[in-house]
Amino acid sequence: MSDKANDPVQVWHTMLAEMEKGFNAMATQVMGTEQFSRVTHQLTGASVGAQKTVGDLMERYLVAMNLPSRAQMVSFGERLNAIEGQLNEIKALLNRVHGDAQDNGLSTPKPPRTKQPPSATGGGGSA
Amino acid sequence: MNAPTSASALPDLAAVGERIQSEVQRAIQRSIKGVEYFASSGPALGSTPKDIILSKGTMNLYHYRPQADEIYRIPLLIVMATTNRGYILDLVPGQSFIEFLLKKGFDVYMLDWTAPRPDEKSLRMEDYVLGFIPDCIRKVQEDSGEADVNVIGYCFGGVLSLLYGSIFPDGPMKNLVCFTTPIDFREMKLFQNFSDRRYFDVDRLVDSVGNVPPEMILSSFEMLRPASRAVSQIQLWENIWNDEYVKSFRMFDRWAQDTLPLAGEYFRTITKDLMWDNKLFNDTMSVGGHAADLSKIKVPLLHAVAEHDHIVPYDAAKHLIAKIGSTDKTEVILKGGHVSLVAGANAIKRLWPKLDSWLSERST
Repeated sequence: MSDKANDPVQVWHTMLAEMEKGFNAMATQVMGTEQFSRVTHQLTGASVGAQKTVGDLMERYLVAMNLPSRAQMVSFGERLNAIEGQLNEIKALLNRVHGDAQDNGLSTPKPPRTKQPPSATGGGGSA
Repeated sequence: MNAPTSASALPDLAAVGERIQSEVQRAIQRSIKGVEYFASSGPALGSTPKDIILSKGTMNLYHYRPQADEIYRIPLLIVMATTNRGYILDLVPGQSFIEFLLKKGFDVYMLDWTAPRPDEKSLRMEDYVLGFIPDCIRKVQEDSGEADVNVIGYCFGGVLSLLYGSIFPDGPMKNLVCFTTPIDFREMKLFQNFSDRRYFDVDRLVDSVGNVPPEMILSSFEMLRPASRAVSQIQLWENIWNDEYVKSFRMFDRWAQDTLPLAGEYFRTITKDLMWDNKLFNDTMSVGGHAADLSKIKVPLLHAVAEHDHIVPYDAAKHLIAKIGSTDKTEVILKGGHVSLVAGANAIKRLWPKLDSWLSERST
């Protein structure tokens, strides 16, 4: 034990752990106050408001420059996502209908649903 | 006097010498491994073989390919929390909860989430509880050929499963397992303060941003323990010579950073109904006009909670057992935190075997 107490690496670890604990506790106290909540939300509100204003201005600028706006790119992304989703559905359907020769496991029969709990078989299970 | 002093001092000097040598070696290893760390990617996660059997926007339903010769009759659906990816339950082989379940003979499905698209900002609580979960249950029934389905809900996935179970108390859910599921949202003290209704204008936020960005979700989680991120980076540097430590760090860090945005309307309901009005606890919650009364749930329930959970403190989770209508209900309190309860070395020893023994008895 005394070795540990004198070991500078161990002392450093203990100090780090204590610092973490202490700082977290202190921060928790501060963040639990009403003032913290009020100030944080004032800042968040201002930031969200500014973000929206800048976004609106940028949208108008892009339209004026004949460039695709964010909304248009988002809509483009949505269409791609929808296509991707449909492809996944088709893939799942194909896997189901035809099985998959490349080790997708669906062509192999499912194991029987007959497993009993260890208590019923008098000990450890089969897997 | 001299002889004993020098005799006792000698081993100390040798130990100090060894310590210095070991620290020098580690310092060299740190430099080498540090370069490797930045030059390589982390281990592949979520690689247990699976098939996507249903996909609808933000929702994916996986079926994991069985790994036992014989499986339990009742399939198992895991409902993941909407803020995080499901691969926390499928880390790497040997540390994967999913793999563990498959090898124990469970037929495992997972309802996992991807980032909601901008057009999914209007998804409501109803879409999750009355749409996604019932759709997945139906698909599991169809795929497995079984009418009964067991459900595990992790964190907010547990809340969604409870809401579903209380609205559909007559089945097909046969047994329910909740991991660290909050019921009394007043007891999530810091989240309460972050969403203080006097200052937090949730309508303005949702109306402005649509889906709530993942950075906001992540920073609210990190603010619960603000020093821990910096300390974990220091610890990583200290242990960067240790491949196992680095592997584990990378797995958990990648998952933690991979937080998902939340659909705006859904977030609005969580804030107003749960954080502000605590409706689930007060028995006044309703989803799409259906009363979600926990006392209606009569299926056997296991609730696993973590002793040192800083995200869902025990006080926020402890009332589930009292509120649920089941007669067969068990709460287990295990050492660990919100994530280490379900994944990592401690979960392998603590939660997984407990869950296996509880669920195997109820899966035939």
